Amino acid sequence: MTTDQVQILSGNTFVVSNGSGDIEASSTDPTGLFSFDTRHLSRWVLTFDDQRLTALSTDDLQYFESRFFLVPGTGTVYVDAKQTVIRRRRVADGFKEELTVLNHADEPIDVKVRIEAASDFADLFEVKDALEKKGSYSNDIADGRLRLTYRRDTFVRSTVISASEPCEIDPDGLTFQVHVEPQDAWSTDIDVSIIFLGADPDEVAEVRSPLAWQAPSPVADMAQNLRSWLDETPKLECEWEPLLRCYRRSLVDLAALRFSPISAGGNSLPAAGLPWFMTMFGRDSIFTSLQALPFSPELAATTLRELGLRQGTRFDDFRDEDPGRILHEMRYGEMTAFEERPHSPYYGSADATPLYVVLLDEYERWTGDVQLVRDLEYEARAALHWIDAYANLQGNGYLSYQRRNEATGLENQCWKDSWDSIAYHDGRLAGFPRATCELQGYTYDAKMRAARLARSVWGDPTFADQLEKQAGELKERFNRDFWVEDGEFFALALDAGGAQVDSLTSNIGHLLWSGIVDQAKAERVARHLVGDRLFSGWGVRTMAVGEGRYNPIGYHVGTVWPFDNSFIAWGLRRYGFKDEAAVVAAGILEAAEFFDGQLPEAFGGYPRDMTKYPVRYPTACSPQAWSTGTPLLLLRTMLGLEPVGDNLVVDAALPKTIGRLELLDIPGRWGRIDAFGRGRVDTQMKTG
Amino acid sequence: MADTISDFFQKLGERREQALLGHMRGAVRFDVRGDQGQVDQWVVAVDSGAVTVSHGNAEVDCAIGADRALLESLIKGQANAMSAVLRGELRCSGDVEMLLTIQRIFPGPSSERTTMGQQGVHGDDRPSPDP
Repeated sequence: MTTDQVQILSGNTFVVSNGSGDIEASSTDPTGLFSFDTRHLSRWVLTFDDQRLTALSTDDLQYFESRFFLVPGTGTVYVDAKQTVIRRRRVADGFKEELTVLNHADEPIDVKVRIEAASDFADLFEVKDALEKKGSYSNDIADGRLRLTYRRDTFVRSTVISASEPCEIDPDGLTFQVHVEPQDAWSTDIDVSIIFLGADPDEVAEVRSPLAWQAPSPVADMAQNLRSWLDETPKLECEWEPLLRCYRRSLVDLAALRFSPISAGGNSLPAAGLPWFMTMFGRDSIFTSLQALPFSPELAATTLRELGLRQGTRFDDFRDEDPGRILHEMRYGEMTAFEERPHSPYYGSADATPLYVVLLDEYERWTGDVQLVRDLEYEARAALHWIDAYANLQGNGYLSYQRRNEATGLENQCWKDSWDSIAYHDGRLAGFPRATCELQGYTYDAKMRAARLARSVWGDPTFADQLEKQAGELKERFNRDFWVEDGEFFALALDAGGAQVDSLTSNIGHLLWSGIVDQAKAERVARHLVGDRLFSGWGVRTMAVGEGRYNPIGYHVGTVWPFDNSFIAWGLRRYGFKDEAAVVAAGILEAAEFFDGQLPEAFGGYPRDMTKYPVRYPTACSPQAWSTGTPLLLLRTMLGLEPVGDNLVVDAALPKTIGRLELLDIPGRWGRIDAFGRGRVDTQMKTG
Repeated sequence: MADTISDFFQKLGERREQALLGHMRGAVRFDVRGDQGQVDQWVVAVDSGAVTVSHGNAEVDCAIGADRALLESLIKGQANAMSAVLRGELRCSGDVEMLLTIQRIFPGPSSERTTMGQQGVHGDDRPSPDP
């Protein structure tokens, strides 16, 4: 069923159906209408005189809208069909389906059109595991609507179905007796609404601005919303056509990935991925906001506010929560509600907290929005406090992680979160707590940036001095303790005993980005990043060839992650390795051509001259937010865009293949500004 | 009547300053439903971290409804406010941001964390950055 699956969405409401628009979910077929991590329709089947229909074609009109052209009957006999059925489906608060029957015959037709509907109200977490439900179901008919309801104690979720044309409603669906004259058409609108949490109106009277707990109202005009999003982002002009396609694709995908938490008053932040990760993730939302800053700074503002609002305030082992910690993931389904999963929210991320401070500073440097920096002073200080007070688990002053929720918490709390990602050169896995190297880089950067904010916005030079002193000491220790002498690179991590986890990995690129690398060591790090062991020709591998666990299709031990590469390129630029940054950018952007401009989460680490094309890593999540943000950050990096005071400095170093490039109307504290560049770097000559 | 809920709100009012509620400007009402269905109301008003607590009804920006037993569990750190919201046990009407903010006043469960570190961390420890 995977080949003809169609998915459309709005916020965290999405529909996955087969190519004719039907939904027939099973444990192996994760189709359905989903909202707030709950499946609200598991069956939605259209019949025509009790017969199924066959799809002629499917148009994905927009990310929120699809159209299915169908004919009655199945098999190969539909060629002389006298009727066409069109389903046009738009996702909003639930979805709306416009169902049209066209009669091409010379005689009138009378036909029974039926929609069968049912819902298992599965939690997203249950969809794959087909777990037994603990509550009860009811189907009620009232006021011309079919209401499907699931209850478990006070937990209630409903789906309400109604139609604009007369129909018979029974507990399992809607039936229309349709008469269509020759060469005429019949049409009905079917509305499917979801009810997430219904407040009891008696109990919560006398509120100034009542707000029902349900899915946020749909944007009135999704098409208009997408147009204005595209209008407000910078225009790209460029001689290399694939980059234009890739840029356009990224902007549209990023629009689709926008998610408005109920508390955000209609503002959006980037969710992690579509469709299964349409929720707030600390790490993913922050990284994507950083990538998109020169293009859509509002995403960063919403990310900072919303993550700040949910910052940890207490110790809670089940949720791995500490005061000041920034959340990892928020979920809204039944298993989270009944604490069978810890995502309400779950805090098991070691990098989101320092990265939160990094984003706050980078956001202000671009936008000049000092008000937000003032508003979030408490959150930023609490985040810094968390690093020193609660994340020093090895007792050596390095940020490390170890979950307290052993049953359902995350083992690896860095971005390389698969079980085997933190391994020594000989392939053994490191014990806990683990202090991965990039966490120390993020901490250094967070403290340096917070020092700037403390001095320039919070009016606290003493705190600034203290932060800079700590950062300086950290940098000194780090360059000594993590440096692998014989290999001349930084170790992936320190293990529980403080020994080096001595694999060569892409993490060293994030170290350049953070600024923690001593100038004297930067050249060696840069050489590794574009050298044969790490650089595949398309991008930097997560783990180098020759490491014990290296596998070109191992999730975090050999594949190439576009997002990772965008930060590596930024890091190379930070230390002045312009040409090397262009090499990485060119590889990733050339790979994007093979994916229609839509970069996947990861692709194989095979050498480029071996496979000739990048081999996609099989994954259910596409587009993924930080892959979508990758071309944006690469554009920034290649153009060398850097806010300096109230100005934007442009210092382009573009791959030759790109030719002339213009990025127009870049928003920021300067208003809007244009940047130009011409490709001069011969990226073929730089590798090897 | 020795009462967990009255004690909690009284102490909250006495503390006056609450850095955790620093952003909040407005009032939240807790509508606490007893076993017999009677509703007891507490209003927490905050302006730039200064907290005032009153007993009884008032017009507010956010109303939160809970059974007495649930609120007692929240106060003792035995229940989590956000999962209670998802269960429909804690009901909210009005400004959702205020719900997210006010739930910070509830403590966490007794935690292994308190015995883990060399940082001398206590269960009621809060980050208290010096302004």
